[in-house]
Amino acid sequence: MDTAVSLTDITKRFDDVVANDEVDMQVERGTVHALLGENGAGKTTLMNVLYGLYRPTAGEVYVDGDRAEFDSPQDAIAAGVGMIHQHFMLVEPMTVRENIALGWEPVTHGGLKTDDARIDTEVRELSERYGLGLAGDLDTPVEQLSMGARQRVEVLKALYRGADVFIFDEPTAVLTPQEVEELFDIFSQLTAQDKTIIFITHKLGEALTAADGITVLRDGERVGTVDAAGTTREQLAELMVGREVLLDVDRAARGASGDDTRLSVSDLAVTDDRGEPAVQGVDISVRGGEIVGIAGVDGNGQEPLVEAVTGVRDADAGTVRFDGEAVTGLSRRERLDRGLAHVPGDRQEQALVMEFDLVQNAVLGSQHRPPFGRRGRIDWGAAREHAEAVIEEYDVRPPNPDLPARSLSGGNQQKFVVGRELSREPDVVVAAHPTRGVDIGSKEFIHERLLAMREQGAAVLVVSASLDEVVQLSDRIAVMYEGSFVDVVPGDAATEEQLGLLMAGEQPDEPVPTGAGR
Amino acid sequence: MSATATARRWVFAGALVLAVLAALRLVVPVGSVPGRMLASVLDVGYASSVLRLTVPIAFAALGGIFAERAGVINIGIEGFLIVSALTTVIVARRLPWAGVTGPAALWLAFLVGVLVSVAVAAVFAVLVVRYRSNQVIAGLAVWLIALGLAPFITFTLFDSSSPTIDTFGTWSVPLLSELPVVGPVLFDASPTVYMLLVATPLAWYALRYTRLGRRIRACGENPKALATGGVSVSRVRYAGVLISGVLAGVGGAGFTVGQVGTFVAVGQTSINGRGFLGIVAYLFGNYNPFAAVGGAMLFAGFDSLQLRLQQIGALDIPAELFGILPFVVVLVTITLVRRTRVPAALGEPYEGEE
Amino acid sequence: MSRALPEGLRRTLRRFAGLSAVERVLVSGAAVVVALLVGAVMLLGSGYVASCREPALFLAGTSFCFDPVAVYAAMYQGAFGTPVNQALTLQRMTLLIFTGLAFAIPYRAGLFNIGAQGQFVLAALATTVSLLALGPLVSGPVATAVLVPVGLLAGAVVGGLYGLLPGVLKTRYGTNEVISTLLLNFIATGVAVVIVKRAFNNPEIQGTVTRSIPEAATLQPWLFPPGTRFSVPVLAATLLLVGGFWWLLNRTTLGYDIRVLGRQQAAAVFGGVDDDRVTVLSMVIAGAVAGLGGGLYVMMVVGRWQVGLPALGFDGIAVSVLAGNNPVGLVPAGLLFGALQSGGLAINFQLGIPRELVDVLRGLVILLVATPELFRIVGRRLQRQGRLRPAGGESG
Repeated sequence: MDTAVSLTDITKRFDDVVANDEVDMQVERGTVHALLGENGAGKTTLMNVLYGLYRPTAGEVYVDGDRAEFDSPQDAIAAGVGMIHQHFMLVEPMTVRENIALGWEPVTHGGLKTDDARIDTEVRELSERYGLGLAGDLDTPVEQLSMGARQRVEVLKALYRGADVFIFDEPTAVLTPQEVEELFDIFSQLTAQDKTIIFITHKLGEALTAADGITVLRDGERVGTVDAAGTTREQLAELMVGREVLLDVDRAARGASGDDTRLSVSDLAVTDDRGEPAVQGVDISVRGGEIVGIAGVDGNGQEPLVEAVTGVRDADAGTVRFDGEAVTGLSRRERLDRGLAHVPGDRQEQALVMEFDLVQNAVLGSQHRPPFGRRGRIDWGAAREHAEAVIEEYDVRPPNPDLPARSLSGGNQQKFVVGRELSREPDVVVAAHPTRGVDIGSKEFIHERLLAMREQGAAVLVVSASLDEVVQLSDRIAVMYEGSFVDVVPGDAATEEQLGLLMAGEQPDEPVPTGAGR
Repeated sequence: MSATATARRWVFAGALVLAVLAALRLVVPVGSVPGRMLASVLDVGYASSVLRLTVPIAFAALGGIFAERAGVINIGIEGFLIVSALTTVIVARRLPWAGVTGPAALWLAFLVGVLVSVAVAAVFAVLVVRYRSNQVIAGLAVWLIALGLAPFITFTLFDSSSPTIDTFGTWSVPLLSELPVVGPVLFDASPTVYMLLVATPLAWYALRYTRLGRRIRACGENPKALATGGVSVSRVRYAGVLISGVLAGVGGAGFTVGQVGTFVAVGQTSINGRGFLGIVAYLFGNYNPFAAVGGAMLFAGFDSLQLRLQQIGALDIPAELFGILPFVVVLVTITLVRRTRVPAALGEPYEGEE
Repeated sequence: MSRALPEGLRRTLRRFAGLSAVERVLVSGAAVVVALLVGAVMLLGSGYVASCREPALFLAGTSFCFDPVAVYAAMYQGAFGTPVNQALTLQRMTLLIFTGLAFAIPYRAGLFNIGAQGQFVLAALATTVSLLALGPLVSGPVATAVLVPVGLLAGAVVGGLYGLLPGVLKTRYGTNEVISTLLLNFIATGVAVVIVKRAFNNPEIQGTVTRSIPEAATLQPWLFPPGTRFSVPVLAATLLLVGGFWWLLNRTTLGYDIRVLGRQQAAAVFGGVDDDRVTVLSMVIAGAVAGLGGGLYVMMVVGRWQVGLPALGFDGIAVSVLAGNNPVGLVPAGLLFGALQSGGLAINFQLGIPRELVDVLRGLVILLVATPELFRIVGRRLQRQGRLRPAGGESG
């Protein structure tokens, strides 16, 4: 039993936030180990500690039995630890060869020329040995390669620098199913030569397929370490998601809503910034007085979906209707005028101008119409009153409307944003990750307010990566995976394990009772 | 660096030029004054002067390529040119007092001019990389400072605002300069032209095949990739800006001591926007050294055309229109044939390094 | 959760609230001081090299022709010493406010308008031409009432159109406005010269100059001696205009849209701002304002169009940067630069010091203002050495 990597009692704190809480992890040489957990569980932080990007607040790291104190990734690389990030560290217009050797280029002729011949020989040899198949592509610019090929370039990069331990951060996020299989083949090739692999994932199916051992993290803590061989999906889902239930907020019976469909989305298709199809054929209708929650792990198309519905991004195909009226061709401002409230996932870039004070932020989205905008002028008195009202009602602290938004904590910023949006008395509410980075008290408050919108007859669409939140709030739950809804179920019909499986792209063995369904 | 996009531009520009010439040909009767003009324009002397006028623009363009591909916007290249031109003239005038005369003095002046440009580039680099100065404004500031320094120093040191010096003259390559057409154009030219002919492929080679060149390219596209490779992003950016200082310095110094032998220090100075033309040249050429120099030649072509036409005699088209024609051509081209692939991380200060 | 905030948090909040404006003023002030110091060094340097009858300063065994202190004093006198000088300073200040606005407004929208010079030049020509054309048609007391607005309008319209061009290029084709406005400057000068040479050249005067505009269209000085080429009502109107722009930026929907777009484009999209419309409008407004400046220059200062118009467009950039791109700040910044320029002329005249010294100072000031980090680091170091109380920190 040869331990390649050992993390003992690792704790990592950022100011008040504890990202890793006394986590232990041991990985045997020549094996594949999965680090599994939901968003925010602390997986990336832990690996960043191993890779030298962070110093642990407490605890020790051992590589190959030696105590490791990495001050930077360079130290980690020197100790044989390589990382393949989720967003590749590649220079797209440059060739495969140039990327692999970047920073490590051998030179000839007294430094006047990079020794491409030598790079090529080494790279080809490595490519052969580990079955990476890039030997013929050394001259190809990386931007012309598929995602799977780019990932293999990253692997070659790590091999070229002498890595023995490979950390993969969410490696399958950008791959097609075939490429995923190829990746797992590569894992085998690497471990066959005594290399050690750790990969971060939220997809438990993959963890079971590819890994020998699995460590599950939840909320910064290690909740279990198991052998993949003897574990079922349900057991993993239970570990990942847990049975922890927040205070069940008082609410009217689920499913009690009006008859009219206030928000309808038909056959929506949206492309993301990279030109990839991010949303494919999404249909959903939300009635007045209903909350539909979209569950799913980040990156499965939720953001482009929200953007297309709210007018931030144009859809490629399909229709969006507010109260029966097609808004697909309308501008953002026109949608706002038709009773849309939008709590975006990125409050710091979108929902608030950080340098502006709260009074100025209070009118964002309504600056052109009464009561704030009349005939081109802004009534700052009304804006101030509004800001103060929101601050008061949503308990924003510190309660000073003249402070710039950036001086508020994340939770208070979010409360302000939610307050501003919901106070429009909207007909359609779209809330993306409404309580991300928010403390418990504020979280409950925001939930109450969303439920109040529901009472008032608005159609509410909530997107969240937190299953608890979705289950708490929703009358119906749509699970989004890879650009479309894998299922839409009543809020109280599915168990958390079933939802967890759906979110991970798996189908639960027992189908979820449909009830109201779509 | 999309080769097809660059090629498309060249076709467009070439077509534009041909269209202009064709139009002139149609409109203009042979044997008339304009007809003779047209004929005289398309001759060897013209080609030589185009090549000569290309030098400052092309060196500015090459310099700009290195800075921007490393991720630093360098609008102030015009300032580098002005400073090096000014310095060269000053040193060339003053060296005789120290007993140094003749070609040695000229070459020494040239060298000092380049060094001063590098010094200015170093200051710019520190401000922009270390102190995260707003790159566009800092570049403009460098230019404005140079515009003020030039007349100030000139008036202080000399009695006139356009002191004159000797020039390098031309170097003749034996045998090769006897070749028809190509000979007198390429092989009997100012040393600065030869420098350009050498520098251009060198720049291309450096960016493609040397370690530093590759790191510079990576720096402007994805500095994080460079940083995770253990390379200091700041150092590479410094290198890029300093190299642009060298090249711009050669352009400015070469312009005075290699060609015109004088430097008008007032107004827009003799440099007269050539640094900006250089910037446009490399944008037009998609950051490829050869294409950029080609673009510089395009502008020099119009510039030289104007001078020749003035020599021929009374013509209805005013010189000023020809003077602005390159700017117009470029504006049109850049607008219609967009798709300059700007380095992805251009202008963004790199966080994460102290 | 207790209402009492911990002391550290309270202190941090105080630092955040409203101090970035103070910090900006400090940086601007420090930039001016440093620039003046560098200018003093330049004066010493050139004083060392130049030859003069009697040295003005004797330091460390070497004689200098120029004494920086005396020079700056002379500059001050040249700027404010006599009513004539004051008029010149105020005249410059007025014009600089216009070109400064032309940079400041688009900057707030996230754009770099480097083209104020071209807008200025073409507008000046438009004003001249329109007045020359209209001049013979009106006479008598009505003339001024008709000609002045026409002249201003012509300038504003042409300037606005010349600002529209890069705006449209940007929104329609994505053309970078730094390059396009820069190129358009050169183009404007060339086009203007050609137009004058062909159609409006004054046969009686050497060089490329138009005839003079009708007397009735020139703006007369009021409180200042005749011939000083400065009109107090114009200054008053300019200050009103500054107020107007302050009002536009801070009290109107358009101004809000502009400011949000300039700060965070994602927030602008979120807030329903039509970024194309705002971009184009900002550029048109900027061009029109620069154009007004051009018109005023013709009507108040030179009375005609001639080659070699002053670089007020670029000076406007410097003024705006110094003013933190805030309309109200343009007034003191404009005054400072106006003083520098008239002072510069004075020392040129009296002491033979090239007035381009002021141009160097101009460049230095904006270089330093564009690098606030420099002052922050120096400030932090001085703080650590106990010499400075914390005046501003992690803001801006």
